Amino acid sequence: MSTKSPTEADILRPIQNVSKLYFIMFALAGLALGGFLVAWGYQLYQGLVVTGLSDWGSGGGVTWGLYIGAFIWWVGIAHGGIILSAAVRLLGMERYMPVARLAELLTLAGLSAAGFYILVHMGRPDRMVTSVLGHYHITVNNSPLVWDVTVITAYFVLTATYLALTIRYDVTRLRDQLPDRFDPIYDGLTLGYSEKEDQIIDRMVWWVALAIIIMAPLLLHGGVIPWLFAVLPNYPGWFGAVQGPQFLTIALTSAISGVILLSAAFRRAYDWDHIITDDIFRGLLLWLGFFCMLFLWLQLQQLTAGSFHPTIDHGEATASKFTHPLYIIPIGGVLGVLGFIFATTIRPALFTKLRAMVASVIVLTATLAEKLYFVLSGFWYPSFSIYEATPGDYFPSAIELSSLLGTIGLVVLFFLVVAKVIPVVELHAIEHLRGDHGHGHEHEHEPVEESTKQPEVEA
Amino acid sequence: MSADDESFHPLGEEWENDLEGMLDDTEYDTDLGMAMAEDAMRVTRGELSEADFHEKYHDDVLEEFGEDNRPTQEAYEKAQEEAKGTVGRMLSRFDGDGEEPRRDVMKKMGAGAAAVGLGAWATVDDGEQQAAAAQDDEDESGAPEGGEGDFQWGMAIDLERCDGCLSCVTACSSENNLDQGVNWMYVLEFEDPGASSTTSRNRMVRPCQHCTDAPCEKVCPTTARHTRDSDGLVLTDYDVCIGCRYCQVACPYGVNYFQWDEPDISTDEIAEFHEDHEGDHMTTDDGYGSERWVDSRAPRGVMSKCTMCPTRQDGQMGDEMIGTTACQEACPPDAIQFGNMHDETSDPQTYAANPARGRTLAQINPPSADELEEDLEGADDDLESVLEAAELDEEELALMIAVQITGGDEMGEGDGNVAELENDVTEALAAIEDHGLGLASQEVLAELDLADEPDLEEPADGDEEGVDVDDEDDEEENGDDDEDEDDDNGFEPDEEAAQFLLEQFAGTPASNFKLLEEQGTNPNIIYLGNEPGPQAEQIEPTGTGVNYEDISYERADGESVEAVDNRKDVLDEGTVGDAGVSL
Repeated sequence: MSTKSPTEADILRPIQNVSKLYFIMFALAGLALGGFLVAWGYQLYQGLVVTGLSDWGSGGGVTWGLYIGAFIWWVGIAHGGIILSAAVRLLGMERYMPVARLAELLTLAGLSAAGFYILVHMGRPDRMVTSVLGHYHITVNNSPLVWDVTVITAYFVLTATYLALTIRYDVTRLRDQLPDRFDPIYDGLTLGYSEKEDQIIDRMVWWVALAIIIMAPLLLHGGVIPWLFAVLPNYPGWFGAVQGPQFLTIALTSAISGVILLSAAFRRAYDWDHIITDDIFRGLLLWLGFFCMLFLWLQLQQLTAGSFHPTIDHGEATASKFTHPLYIIPIGGVLGVLGFIFATTIRPALFTKLRAMVASVIVLTATLAEKLYFVLSGFWYPSFSIYEATPGDYFPSAIELSSLLGTIGLVVLFFLVVAKVIPVVELHAIEHLRGDHGHGHEHEHEPVEESTKQPEVEA
Repeated sequence: MSADDESFHPLGEEWENDLEGMLDDTEYDTDLGMAMAEDAMRVTRGELSEADFHEKYHDDVLEEFGEDNRPTQEAYEKAQEEAKGTVGRMLSRFDGDGEEPRRDVMKKMGAGAAAVGLGAWATVDDGEQQAAAAQDDEDESGAPEGGEGDFQWGMAIDLERCDGCLSCVTACSSENNLDQGVNWMYVLEFEDPGASSTTSRNRMVRPCQHCTDAPCEKVCPTTARHTRDSDGLVLTDYDVCIGCRYCQVACPYGVNYFQWDEPDISTDEIAEFHEDHEGDHMTTDDGYGSERWVDSRAPRGVMSKCTMCPTRQDGQMGDEMIGTTACQEACPPDAIQFGNMHDETSDPQTYAANPARGRTLAQINPPSADELEEDLEGADDDLESVLEAAELDEEELALMIAVQITGGDEMGEGDGNVAELENDVTEALAAIEDHGLGLASQEVLAELDLADEPDLEEPADGDEEGVDVDDEDDEEENGDDDEDEDDDNGFEPDEEAAQFLLEQFAGTPASNFKLLEEQGTNPNIIYLGNEPGPQAEQIEPTGTGVNYEDISYERADGESVEAVDNRKDVLDEGTVGDAGVSL
């Protein structure tokens, strides 16, 4: 572990430097996104016929496929990210403070990718505003899809607010070292800032974090997203109360994996060994193990209930899980990761950062595959399964597959751009690591007394 | 909703303003409506009694609407007994003669007052109804209760009469100019390992079920999928749909077809094709004075499904086409009966109530009264001579009489095809009677096996199996009828024997069922035949009597299109990078 003391210069490094690798990554991510935008343009021009989708039932296909699977996947990553960040602020898990902002940014990026998927999935994206908003007061009472859009929008706003509030402190104090060309952005971010607000902002952030930590499990990945499926009785693979908790655990596994990968990338790129320490990775990996266990535990519940003495339709839906590679492989992957994490707790020497990253990649791949299977299997095994001669054949088309690369490119681009504008590790984290505990804790309960203990800003 | 909100309604000020706006649009007094609504809320909070509320507004309501049959003090207790505060009953009190449909009364009162005031009222006794009533604005189905005056198009489909010719499939595709593989109407044959025994072919004829509680409508994020208040048809507004396909996901029947690419036939071609008709076969009145595009094939990127031909129902193709659908019209064995499901005398309800009789009616072809008169001229009036002259056989005549006997008072009532056929039968029989053959006489009926021999008197033995109808089922079980037994003029025809004859001739279906009723969708199609069990599986080739590959249909541009049973085969051609494999 590094003995270097974290400095402001460390967190300014991404903003002040640019490398060849950065441009290469930027180009690759841009290419992935650009490639998909072209493909999407073609889809808009031709219609959704360019996908591998068809109508379920006598249409012989599935009407939701990779677009929806990937949509849930991104939303999961996004929601888990913000839960992680909120836990840091709310539960005082200060160990993870250096990666809290990365998690928040991952939420914004993930939600953007998910929102993009909504548009890509639509037959008439041009009508999103007129048709959805125009009837909102009626449909919000009924349509789980409208609940979804509502909550995702609320979350985007909440997260952006959260980020905007916490960033004022950093930008004000680091302003001199920040590039002049972004002055209008910094002016906007710090509009009306005064040091007196720090305490108030801290309290506001605490409350927003509380809102997030309550609402995320209840309303987001434990709520409206699973309810898209769980409320439909004609799909035994979807219907039922387990989907809320199940989705939440999947969201958290994928989000922690995302944060591990992001942290590793930033640590490597900017020599942040002393900021994002091995200890953080160990801790994140343990959490990953915990949520992998919950993920598998809830899968086990479904397999048991669906196999013991199920109704015919439920039995068919469950039987498929024991044989379909798209289910077995991801579940096996998560099981393997869980085994590895368990082993590291017995023999800590088994832990390496690279292994943690591999585990994260496995989990992210597994959750995406599981999501895809989940969506497809609904149509494959409906209660009204009479359409045997027209089964739900599906393989994602080249355009659908390119959407995965495109959205990953979008998220990477987002980080590449944001990292050049604002510090992705918050100043509080540096202060905390240095032992300047003057700010940021116990602010909720004794805010006033601490108002004089402003940390110094080093030049 | 919030504490600082000045509104009285639990859904908040904005909602209230919306409703006030709706009231303003009516010819009635907005202030009165809102005042009543506010007080209705007070009733829900227990600050005002129901009786006081009625007292307070009795005069105003009378002045405004010219009628107010709500209970005043003296009627209050009785009303309290029977009307457990449901919205419908509350509304009915504002009703003059009790015949005015609920919807009309709602309009009369002003939708705002109804929704705000009475929506609140429902919470007194039944909190669940509040949300339902508060939403009960223009997009809600008007016919959930099946009450009088309600209208709901629907079908009875006799799966045992269907011969699998797929005429309905092609007629629908042709009428609606559907793309290849878009089978709004789908016919399939299935095997059912779970079924105990099958008395008939396992066949399914599957249009949209036009559910009263349509899940597709419930999940729609735009209200594009909606139920037409006027006739209960579940339709898609092609101008509003965003193509999220959630309706298709929510529908348990798999009846939806998305328009994945540009449709083959342009709207111009469709409009041109229907030049001679009143409308363009695409847009039609939504019942509230605005035109909505709900019929024919969908444009690109939106959802479509069987519509039950709303433009026909709205008279665009002429009055004679009202009450018909393309599939029903095309069906050679008349296996599809289309009509108002809330009318007992409609085709589907009459048919489903007595399928053997419905089938018989569809099969016998009674000669017209004129023909009969001509044929019978100069013939004797005994049974044999009449049959010979009219070129009828005994069975045909017996079936016609059996149809009449089983028809009861409702014979010929209603305005559907069944009633028309019933009238044909009535007229034919009347012509025969006019000629002098007493069709109501016991002798003639006995000869036709529809009654006992007049001189035989056997005790009723209650054997209702009734294999030998003429020997055993001579008396009605009901003692009242016994008095007339010996009186030839008051002779009651043997209804059981008549029914038996019909069943012998046309058979009875294995079952009457609605598809997936357990899902709570309240479908508006009654099936007659084998119900597919949970293990039922479609068998290939999908065509039943005829294969899909062997049929084609013509579209507005005059081109002929080959039918396809699996749309995926067509759509795969457009898939970019179709690997030809499946997950």
